[in-house]
Amino acid sequence: MAETLLDIAMMHSDSLIARAREGDKNAQGKLVQLWYKRIYNFSYKFFFDHDLAMEVSQKTFISMHKNLAGLQEVARFKSWLYTIAVNYCREETRKKKASRSFSLHDLNPGEGEESYRWEESHHRNENPERQLRHAELSDLLQSCLMQLSHEQREVVIMKEYEGLKFREIAEALNISENTVKSRMYYGLDGLKKILEQKKITKETIGYEL
Amino acid sequence: MNYKPDESTLIAYLYGELNEKETKKLESYFQQHPEELAKLRGLDEVRGVMCHAQDKEVIAPPVFVDDAGVRPLWHSSYFRVSLGIAASILFILVAGRLLGPEINYSNGELRISFGKKAEQKVQQAGLTEEKVNELISSSLAKNNESLESARTENQKKLMQTLVDFNSKKMDALTKTVSQASQEQVRSFVSNLQDQNLKLMKDYFQLSTTDQKKYMENMLVDFSNYLQEQRKQDLQYVQSKVNSLEKNNNQFKQETEQILTSLISNPGKKKNNY
Repeated sequence: MAETLLDIAMMHSDSLIARAREGDKNAQGKLVQLWYKRIYNFSYKFFFDHDLAMEVSQKTFISMHKNLAGLQEVARFKSWLYTIAVNYCREETRKKKASRSFSLHDLNPGEGEESYRWEESHHRNENPERQLRHAELSDLLQSCLMQLSHEQREVVIMKEYEGLKFREIAEALNISENTVKSRMYYGLDGLKKILEQKKITKETIGYEL
Repeated sequence: MNYKPDESTLIAYLYGELNEKETKKLESYFQQHPEELAKLRGLDEVRGVMCHAQDKEVIAPPVFVDDAGVRPLWHSSYFRVSLGIAASILFILVAGRLLGPEINYSNGELRISFGKKAEQKVQQAGLTEEKVNELISSSLAKNNESLESARTENQKKLMQTLVDFNSKKMDALTKTVSQASQEQVRSFVSNLQDQNLKLMKDYFQLSTTDQKKYMENMLVDFSNYLQEQRKQDLQYVQSKVNSLEKNNNQFKQETEQILTSLISNPGKKKNNY
């Protein structure tokens, strides 16, 4: 219910964006509260790394704070914000390639309540075993997503998880809509092959859960 | 009938973002090509699986609102720039007051000077070329005179020092000679005589031994010669005696033959003669 309200607030945040653009610091703070989770999750799905996702999210909102006054159309705020996030994701990817570092999350965290997955689970008040399975499946699917190329991954995350329209993705990535759709098609096709290799189907997921 | 949808059309259909006309066209295509529809359903199934990747919960960091509008005046760039300019001008003024600069422009010359004004010599106005030449020539003559006098003086000084030096040297030599005693002279002369005597002795000794050797050699050579000569004479005499003896024997034989022939043939011999 809370997420639904949050989504509704995001959908109808035009006046908030307009006030933030005029320099209203409270409005800017509210925008950060509204969009932080989305940008963090976009970055997290892009990197599969909590630290990098936090880094990109913070940089994105610092940049938003600095450059919001230059935003021409309020309606384009969403694609504009994702453009900033994508640019920082690409920058971090270049840095990561250069430094060859790895996150502690890459290490095997073990199982049970000591696992960070269990700690990170937002449904830990529910059945712990079920939630752990959900977290593991989520990580498994995330690892499948990581096997896609950067271009396909960007589009798939934006469409599947962030719910952007093809037009908005095209604006955010500064490419044509047809290119977005084409990348989406090949991204899903690639995922299909990866899932087949790992023998992950709707049925196996239903059985596991 | 040759209609074949591209990837973007298929994806737009999958996400329900295709217009009605295109949708109908595509659906009729799927009726003819069910394998394409199955492929698209496969992609839809992928979407169904991938939607199980959950969002992570994250807490947005607190936002600190800084009031840029109430920044103090001295933080503004305009204030800093104008303050800098004012400080520079003040510095120039203080420096000017302390150093006392003076700027002059005269006869196409720009002069910037600091400190006290230098005392300028009053330039003589009516200085012509002839005067300058005269001044130069008089200065040169004076210079030559002074040089000549200095040269003669130096020469005199040099001669004087040379004479002094030589006389001093001679004095020192005579002094050394006069200081030598008669005994020293005698001993020097006796030494000289001894040395001469020794030299002569050596010479004669050497020459006599050489002569002796020479004479000995000569006598030996002469005796050898004589002996050889005698040998040769003896050989000659021997050969002469031998030839005489031989002739004598021959004569003896001939005589014997004649005698025998005479003895054996006394009559015939008379007729034959």
